[in-house]
Amino acid sequence: MLAASGRSGSAQDTLRTYGPRFGIDLARFAYILADPSEVGAEVSVDVELLRNLYPVIEFGYNSISPQEDLFHYAAGGVYGRAGIDYNLLKLKDRSAHHTITVGARYGISKFSHRAEDIYIVNDYWGDHLSGSYEKDLKGHWVELVAGIKAELVSNVFMGWSLRYKILLNPGMDPLVAPQLVPGFGSGGVDRSFGITYSLCYKIPLLKK
Amino acid sequence: MPRPGEKLLDLPSANTKAKMMKTRLLFPGLILLALSCTTEEACEEDTISELVAVFKTEKEGTVADTALSALSIYGIREGQPTWLLYDSVTRSEIFLPLDPHHDYSRFVFQAGEQTDTLILQHRTEIYLISFSCGFGNLFTLEDIQYEAGWFVKDSILNPVVNTSLEEIDSHIWLYF
Repeated sequence: MLAASGRSGSAQDTLRTYGPRFGIDLARFAYILADPSEVGAEVSVDVELLRNLYPVIEFGYNSISPQEDLFHYAAGGVYGRAGIDYNLLKLKDRSAHHTITVGARYGISKFSHRAEDIYIVNDYWGDHLSGSYEKDLKGHWVELVAGIKAELVSNVFMGWSLRYKILLNPGMDPLVAPQLVPGFGSGGVDRSFGITYSLCYKIPLLKK
Repeated sequence: MPRPGEKLLDLPSANTKAKMMKTRLLFPGLILLALSCTTEEACEEDTISELVAVFKTEKEGTVADTALSALSIYGIREGQPTWLLYDSVTRSEIFLPLDPHHDYSRFVFQAGEQTDTLILQHRTEIYLISFSCGFGNLFTLEDIQYEAGWFVKDSILNPVVNTSLEEIDSHIWLYF
């Protein structure tokens, strides 16, 4: 193409690839190493639909089963997020696809939590076991996201994002605040921070 | 282009620059990931659900605080010995731990020759105080009864009794 145009190569002439970019969150594996009772996986897909605008969807699973002295607890379920990222990095080299983005997400989670072998300490009326507790829940929240993705080799990216999350229904279970709202974090608070560390592959469907 | 014999400056190549940029972009994320670990907290909260009862008198429509002297209160536990909660004290308010094993709690009040049994009817649920403290009992008061006529009347101000007494002055008023 460049030869046919009769001009010398320039940044504007370089072909830029477009296509869906699939990612997996590596931070989940770090969490498992740090705390084996927390298991999770998250995948994402984004695409530069318009210049510097990347619609994103993310799906994941998250569960915890921490060892507590006075009861056994477990929570787990699936979640999804949808939103958009805007790339702030000015395009100096059309062949480079690094991005520095800010964006927003809406997240929703469907999960259950339960506590078993609940032991209640009572010095007056006597300690007692109080059976089990279980509830199905839905959580939803919004996130502000800032992130970076660097293209390691052609079409392969690695990057991280920092997320500020606001839970929209913090009182979803007034008796037992869930220890985990999958995709959000602890249900005992209505604000949380999160981080993802992603490895992505872009399918170069289009060059222009 | 350098002239022949001219020493090349040790400048980073474009490839090295790209690698440095990638490192700069990715390294802060690893630090943030390491900082995102959390620590467990110790339980520093009360785990017993106590009802706060305040003593009152009412004369000609005017309600006033009052104190009972030489007051002893016993908790009645089914199938177990009663236990002494207050022993000949002077009090204008008392704290009564409610019975999680039944839908009522019974307490015997004594002061000199006067005696009466207070029966608090309640609904009982469990709730999570915190992950470090575990579960506690949540009571919802439904009715108050007394047997001997020492208590004149009662008022339920806050029917929900849990382990936290923040923002609670009293759950009930007992009139003598």
